[in-house]
Amino acid sequence: MFPNVFRKAQQRFERARIEAAPQCPALSKIVIPTGASYPRRGCEAEWRDLLFLARTLTAVALLASPFSAQAQKPATASATADLPPGAMQAKAATACLECHEARIILQQRLSKPAWTKEVDKMTKWGAVVDPSDHDALIDYLSTNFSPDKPAYEPPRTSGSTKKSK
Amino acid sequence: MKSRRDFLKRISAAALAAGTAPSILTWAFPQAQSVDVPGEDGMILRSFRFVDLETPVEYFNSWLTPVPHFFVRNHMHEPSELDPGDWRLALGGEVDKPITLNLADLSKIETHSVVNTLECAGNGRSLQRPQVPGVQWGKGAVSTARFSGPRLRDVLQRAGVKPTGKHVMFRGLDEVPGKVPPFIRSIPIEKALDTDTLIATHMNGSPLTKHHGFPARALVPGWIGAASCKWLTEIKVLEAEFVGNFMSPAYRFPNQPVQPGDAVKPEDTHPLTALNVKSVIAGPSDGASLKAGKVLVHGAAWAGEADITKVEISTDGGSTWNSAILDHEQSHYAWRLWSYDWKAGKTGDYTILSKATDSQGRTQPSTPAWNPSGYLYNAVDQVKIHVS
Repeated sequence: MFPNVFRKAQQRFERARIEAAPQCPALSKIVIPTGASYPRRGCEAEWRDLLFLARTLTAVALLASPFSAQAQKPATASATADLPPGAMQAKAATACLECHEARIILQQRLSKPAWTKEVDKMTKWGAVVDPSDHDALIDYLSTNFSPDKPAYEPPRTSGSTKKSK
Repeated sequence: MKSRRDFLKRISAAALAAGTAPSILTWAFPQAQSVDVPGEDGMILRSFRFVDLETPVEYFNSWLTPVPHFFVRNHMHEPSELDPGDWRLALGGEVDKPITLNLADLSKIETHSVVNTLECAGNGRSLQRPQVPGVQWGKGAVSTARFSGPRLRDVLQRAGVKPTGKHVMFRGLDEVPGKVPPFIRSIPIEKALDTDTLIATHMNGSPLTKHHGFPARALVPGWIGAASCKWLTEIKVLEAEFVGNFMSPAYRFPNQPVQPGDAVKPEDTHPLTALNVKSVIAGPSDGASLKAGKVLVHGAAWAGEADITKVEISTDGGSTWNSAILDHEQSHYAWRLWSYDWKAGKTGDYTILSKATDSQGRTQPSTPAWNPSGYLYNAVDQVKIHVS
């Protein structure tokens, strides 16, 4: 059980680190052993491992907090949120992100029929979707961005460098 | 009536006393994921490409919204190059003499100013259930500014509108991606000739910024924001309403109330025009924890082409209502700031509600009129707070 918990947490951390890297370079300096190379030991040792992981994740959370010097540096416009992993991730990026950023998708919470309408509308408007990918793309969108998912939390802008009146 | 200074002092004091520290901190210390958008300060980033920025409700504390805090709604890319020297506005269609104007020509026509509350038709879309597609605006796709420029009617009169001219079409310089239909819309001739409909070149006394339509935009006061086309380049007088995506199926509302989730046939809809009656609570913030004692509940209320006559506040979830004080600053198409002194007594959780009524007798409903695109959300506003 514990190695599984560890592996999942470690994978989650890796994903968070990749996503947060543009805003928080310090995250890349934190190294956690991979699940594969982690030696199996007794229960007590695994509890210590989890404690170590909890401390590390706490440090990560603090680094990523608004009070971190790195975090206060605004991200560039190109550091937009990305699409979730999945078989259709790359094809969704090709079809959708030519015209708009991923954030437009990340904020939607729609049923499968509603996603079908959107994909068909966008295809009519120039999104390149191979007919053989049509259903899989709708599955990908309606699974990841369904009405039961928590609301997307948008960032704020920092534009104090060129204030207009 | 309270003086403007009193009103602002009350709001500032309330912000400090009433636990709005989190929002102030957010403003002072940008979030980890803050994205740099020059000239736009502390806005909620709904989209960077295309730029869609929402005004946080805590900024609803100033009758005129400073331009860096004015919401931005773009349907597509902003014009990549805009040289004011090269800019031209063509006026044709059902007119006696088609004309082309440059910026210097516009500046020679008498200027008129209108303080207008501009609201995106989709403001509040994220609050609709079931959810509907589109930019998931919270409560802040709305702001108020003093717009200035020549009256559209004065410009139309230079070309001479023929009796056959019944609608006026606007085309902007938005850069269209893929095969997306261009952003072109029209308004009826009566609204186009209204004395307050402008070709606006200025906002709060300064030339328009690029996000807001530099060098000139239509300003159709009291109507949905989409009517006020930005980066204006062509005005065409038409015999009938313009036919195109942004007139139909977009920006239309069901003729009859529909059950949430129901499909609506295009022939059972009409184009959106004037805004609804609506109020929003700017403070205290939703989720705030306050100390018992004096709490200033405050916000803004607007009603499109009508005037706000009353804002009522409930601090007990809607059982009893009390009138808020309307701030003295007002103009026909502009929102009214309002405030209500509440003495928060017992410890506990409270739901504060605000409900506006206008000069047409319209009052905010307790539940929104759901529609497939989530337009004109105007249900009674609410925040939940804790008093200790």
